[in-house]
Amino acid sequence: MKTKKLLSIFVLILLLGFAYITYNTSLEKIRFSDQNYSYLGDLTWYRSLDRGFEVAQQENKPIAVYFWAIWCQYCAGFQANTLGNPEIKSILEKDYVLVAMDLDLDRDVARRYGVSYPPYVLFLDSNDRVLDRVPGAVGPGTFLPIVTQVRDQVRSK
Amino acid sequence: MVTFGDGLLYASAVAGVIALAGLLLKELKNSDVLKDLISPMILACTWLLTFAYLLLTYYFVAGDFTLEYVWQYSSRDLPLIYKISGAWAGQPGTYLLWVWVIFLSAAWLALTTKHATPLSRRTQIITLIIGIYFILITRVLTPFKTIYEGRPDLIGYIPPDGSGLNALLVNFWMIIHPPLMFIGYAAITIPFAAAIVYLLTKDDGWEELSRQWSRFTWLFLGMGIAVGGVWAYLVLGWGGFWAWDPVETASFIPWLTLTAYLHAAALHRKNRSTFSIAAPILAAVSFILVLYAAIVVRSGLFNSVHAFGEASTGTLLIISLFASALVSGGLGMRRYLEEPDKIEEDRGFWNKTSIFYVTLLVFVILAFVSFWGITYPVFIQLTQGLKVGVASDTKNFFNVWSYPFTLVLLLALGFCLNYSEKEKKKQKKILFIVAGLTIIAMLVRLDNFYVLDHNSPFWLREPEIYKLIGSISLLSIFPPLIYAGMAVADYLIRNLGATSKRARIKSTGLTMVHIAVVLILLGSIISSTREEKIEGINIPLSAKGELVDIGKGYAMKIVDFSTRSLTEAGGEAASSGDYTVQSVKLEVYKGASIIGSGTAEYLAGKSGSGTFPMVSSSITGTDVYVIFQGLGGGFVPLTLQIKPAINFVWIGIVLFAAGIILIMAVKTKKVKEG
Repeated sequence: MKTKKLLSIFVLILLLGFAYITYNTSLEKIRFSDQNYSYLGDLTWYRSLDRGFEVAQQENKPIAVYFWAIWCQYCAGFQANTLGNPEIKSILEKDYVLVAMDLDLDRDVARRYGVSYPPYVLFLDSNDRVLDRVPGAVGPGTFLPIVTQVRDQVRSK
Repeated sequence: MVTFGDGLLYASAVAGVIALAGLLLKELKNSDVLKDLISPMILACTWLLTFAYLLLTYYFVAGDFTLEYVWQYSSRDLPLIYKISGAWAGQPGTYLLWVWVIFLSAAWLALTTKHATPLSRRTQIITLIIGIYFILITRVLTPFKTIYEGRPDLIGYIPPDGSGLNALLVNFWMIIHPPLMFIGYAAITIPFAAAIVYLLTKDDGWEELSRQWSRFTWLFLGMGIAVGGVWAYLVLGWGGFWAWDPVETASFIPWLTLTAYLHAAALHRKNRSTFSIAAPILAAVSFILVLYAAIVVRSGLFNSVHAFGEASTGTLLIISLFASALVSGGLGMRRYLEEPDKIEEDRGFWNKTSIFYVTLLVFVILAFVSFWGITYPVFIQLTQGLKVGVASDTKNFFNVWSYPFTLVLLLALGFCLNYSEKEKKKQKKILFIVAGLTIIAMLVRLDNFYVLDHNSPFWLREPEIYKLIGSISLLSIFPPLIYAGMAVADYLIRNLGATSKRARIKSTGLTMVHIAVVLILLGSIISSTREEKIEGINIPLSAKGELVDIGKGYAMKIVDFSTRSLTEAGGEAASSGDYTVQSVKLEVYKGASIIGSGTAEYLAGKSGSGTFPMVSSSITGTDVYVIFQGLGGGFVPLTLQIKPAINFVWIGIVLFAAGIILIMAVKTKKVKEG
């Protein structure tokens, strides 16, 4: 009886330790979003589209709206390879207002712009006009010219 | 207004309550007032639910789109078989199926035991309570709701057509996946009920009463999960059969604890004092985890590709989950604190019971890893409003934490299967050697053959501890796999000489189930780490018949391209054409020789689209797998994957099923007490 009891206690401690470590690791290192911002592909995104429009108006920048979902495996790859591409990342950070829409939560916004699946990037100007759409997990080679072109289009106005 | 279908549900609830009252009167007051009504009422209830289910199917086949549920999940242009399977495509229908199977179990229990013993009566009481509760849940969700309810302005309007079945569900595997799953969910009710009765009364017959039920549940749950995997592989184009999606993981958890239960029961039936608490608790936990799986599947709380949405039954299920957890936990605790009847002597660590106990614990650990991984992100989201991930890449969490325990499990399997007191010394020595080899193999550095894929973009972003476990070499799976495989072979040889035919059949079944474990692990590890993948292939349709080089030494040829409507030839099909299938016939070459051929399809339907990859298997176990994403701008977009050893997984799954069926076919003799 004693052997079994010891084994059980050992496993219980093991499980508690495992639970504690993973819980805290996630809280500290693997945050996707809090109340105000989303953290995706090493970029910080607004969680509210309205807030995005305000900032866009003040700073005269286009808005990049990224539709994602936590269960979307292609999104993870898209974030790491395309959004995480150093050139793309610096353009997005400098010249865009970034808004992330979670498809599990922001279904209305997705419906309004006809976005049906993640990943999907929508480019808007501050007057809510759609400048371009990038559906699907495209590679950096496809994405870079689009971010450059949309930026230049807004600047030239 | 109460619809006819709802009327049937009410009537069945009344019949169920009368039967329950009869049993309770007998049990508590020893009164026979309603005794003669018990079995007839249970049967009546079962017939009413059967009728309700058939009625729902009839509505689907007839296309009665004034019912909201039918309107949501069906349409006129669907082939007949998908009209029938539409009945279990959504939440309300699956609960009706679930409750129907619970009462089929209750009826079976009534007919086989005739409620002759206190054990059978008490088990029936608990089964009925659960059954009636599920009638209530089904009624709340009711599949029989008309579109007029709450919309008086619609009265008189008859929708011309339904909104159609999601294209991903228009598939053979999706016809059988939900029924397998929910029959499994329902069948576990009896092992749970019997375990609770045992915890309450120490009635020894519980294990025997529920033995076949637990095996049956194990078979159906297991096959439900497997078929879900096959569907993901053949339809979703997830590129694999297992993705640690919260929903598939949730169904896997009770299967793990049920597996642990079957192992506990195997020893418990030989010696009643062995695992006298562990066994019933594992049975109870499996039932509770089934409820949890149902919550995960349908609550909308868990972010998953299985996005069914709607949280209406959540509360009712959560209540039932906490109630059953409290009851089982409390009773288990009571039994634990009681003076045991017989004190089991402690024979140290190296004996069969203790090693078996390690096996049970490893199953529990594996179940907990999966449970925790799908649960705590939701907990954090609900309590702190933060969205966190379990790892940079979700599947890494489950792979990292499950892997070490899988090794222990295989070692335990190898050791336990042929354990004998006489040869203990030699067996221990072999175990130590294998364990040593395993640890050495963990350290070998080979070209990207590790627990986590070092070439993945997520690798660098994972937390340190994940990297540490993630850099264990997968070579370490081979010593335990070979050890376990040899043990199974040894077991078969030892037992084939058994004199009784029943013993021979049973040990053949056990052999098949355990060798299946080896094959599935081998197949899944090799196929997921050694696969080759070429994405973004675009072949112009005009290149039909030409061999096109696609890189890495592979080439492809489009043999033919065609479009058809899914609906059988008929007047309606031409006009609607809502489910159109694009087929591309392909040949895949490596160098100059053909390695695979077949048809990849793309289905565009009313609600979304689906891909049906070309899967071309070979005798070596390698699959040539091509996903076709639908014709665009005159180009055929394709993804090619070469998946070695994947067929071991399918063979393993078939052996699992065949093995447990053989075991079920042999009734084990009742071991007399003392």
